Amino acid sequence: MTAAGGLISLLVGTVLLRLTLTGTYARYVRLGMGPPLAIAGAAVIVLGLVTLLHAFRHTNPVDAHDHRGGNRVGWLLLAPIAALLLVAPPTLGSYGVGRGAEVDIRSGGSVLDRLEPGAAPIPMTLLEFGQRAVDQDGVSFNGATVQLTGFVAGAEKGGFRLARYQIACCAADAAPVVLRVVGTGAGPARDRWVTVTGTFQPGGGEMPELAATNVVEIPAPLDPYE
Amino acid sequence: MRSASVEHPDRRRARPVDAGVAGVALVVVAAAALRPLLQHLLDRPAVAHWATVFVAIAVQAMPFLVLGVVISAAVAALVPAGFLPRILPRRPALAVPVAAAAGAALPGCECGSVPIAGRLVARGVLPAAALAFLLSAPAINPVVLVATAVAFPGRPEVVAARFLASLLTAIVVGLVWARAGRDELLERVYRRRSHEGPPLAVLAATAQHDLLHAGGFLIVGAATAATLQTVVPRDVLDAVAGAEPLAFVALAGLAVVMALCSEADAFVAASLTQFSLSARLAFMVVGPMVDVKLVALQAGTFGSGFALRFAPLTLVVALASSAVIGWWLL
Repeated sequence: MTAAGGLISLLVGTVLLRLTLTGTYARYVRLGMGPPLAIAGAAVIVLGLVTLLHAFRHTNPVDAHDHRGGNRVGWLLLAPIAALLLVAPPTLGSYGVGRGAEVDIRSGGSVLDRLEPGAAPIPMTLLEFGQRAVDQDGVSFNGATVQLTGFVAGAEKGGFRLARYQIACCAADAAPVVLRVVGTGAGPARDRWVTVTGTFQPGGGEMPELAATNVVEIPAPLDPYE
Repeated sequence: MRSASVEHPDRRRARPVDAGVAGVALVVVAAAALRPLLQHLLDRPAVAHWATVFVAIAVQAMPFLVLGVVISAAVAALVPAGFLPRILPRRPALAVPVAAAAGAALPGCECGSVPIAGRLVARGVLPAAALAFLLSAPAINPVVLVATAVAFPGRPEVVAARFLASLLTAIVVGLVWARAGRDELLERVYRRRSHEGPPLAVLAATAQHDLLHAGGFLIVGAATAATLQTVVPRDVLDAVAGAEPLAFVALAGLAVVMALCSEADAFVAASLTQFSLSARLAFMVVGPMVDVKLVALQAGTFGSGFALRFAPLTLVVALASSAVIGWWLL
């Protein structure tokens, strides 16, 4: 197991480092995890190299013990490694919307500052849009035009559902914010990413509503979560 | 012939090494050959969801696991045997609370604390005290408490309740283990021989061994959690949210099944608004101490006989102390 273990470590470290350098890691964890992941990857690579060197140079390596059951469970690490080297699983999509808990947009609590409508649309997160929508029926929008980016999570009457996940640590704790976009028809296919420009429309009920003037399909953003 | 054996003096010894390396290469080549199949599978939304959650748990845990095994290996390589038991109080009634409170000093989540606790036991620390540390470290450290405060803005009592209920659980479980626990169940810790050699070589060998071992069990746990998250419909939860004692147990069960990082569970708890604050407290107290990924890690580090007894004990105590503290503070 010694040399093979070193090789597995080398693979694990390489995959971690590769995830960080290519930015693919943003599909699974917060952007802030980049440096810790890179450091962990580098440390594991060093560990693997040291182990490999030791295994090939010494006939009697330090890691000579092989207790019952051995370290065979370590081979399981190859499963995500093989998957990540070949096909990286995608960003969470519309499958999880409506299956789990949604973000509580009321938890912000405080009264929000009024927006100052200008010439350019104001970009904001879906969470902020939702929080402004439930805060005194959306008076803080002040009629401003806003710009939101998310993915299509299904059809709605007269439009479509726009969603984006909030994650705290990793995709396992993702919870979506979901809005209704009306005014531009059915919109692109499910799971396509769009940037929507429009204004808040009161009276949407449970789900905040945006009257869109423009829907543009875009490639998935670097950080798919809010 | 003779010159060949001089050129390759350790040819005979090298053979099992080559077999292992060939095995790794074989797995990678086989996976590469199956690539179209993998790609095809990921076209199904449920499979893609599973794979993303599985990889996410594994990737998120790796830096913390690496930190944990490096600290653990450093203790093995650099702290002389017998030093830790000498500086810690010997009486369980004192050692357990001290160790539980010391958990506050390890910033990280649960994956790092398991190998460290295993190392402490191997180095002669009273098992009950090491276990109290194992339970409290992921729950009461500053990073987790700040995350909880952010997730519940304007509700400092939630942070206080989480801190107190988690500390209480760690101390009670530690004291119960000191009185009634069977330390021989920690067989895996005692069975493992320590590495010999210069400190740096010991550090590298120990870290390498622990990383693969704990990492393998982490993968088992991550796959289980991803499966349960994908398969169990959460409407079931909404149905029980109203019935208080049932809701309480249901959220504890959800914590076990979801296997969230303790730094993230407060945000999920905050989003479960259909549940009472006490039930959500149980979610946050149970999660860092008992979940499918942790039980797999504990079974790998200490032995499955241990994990089968320790996890239910912890679950019951965590539920009881969440109920008491929740009733008092929330």
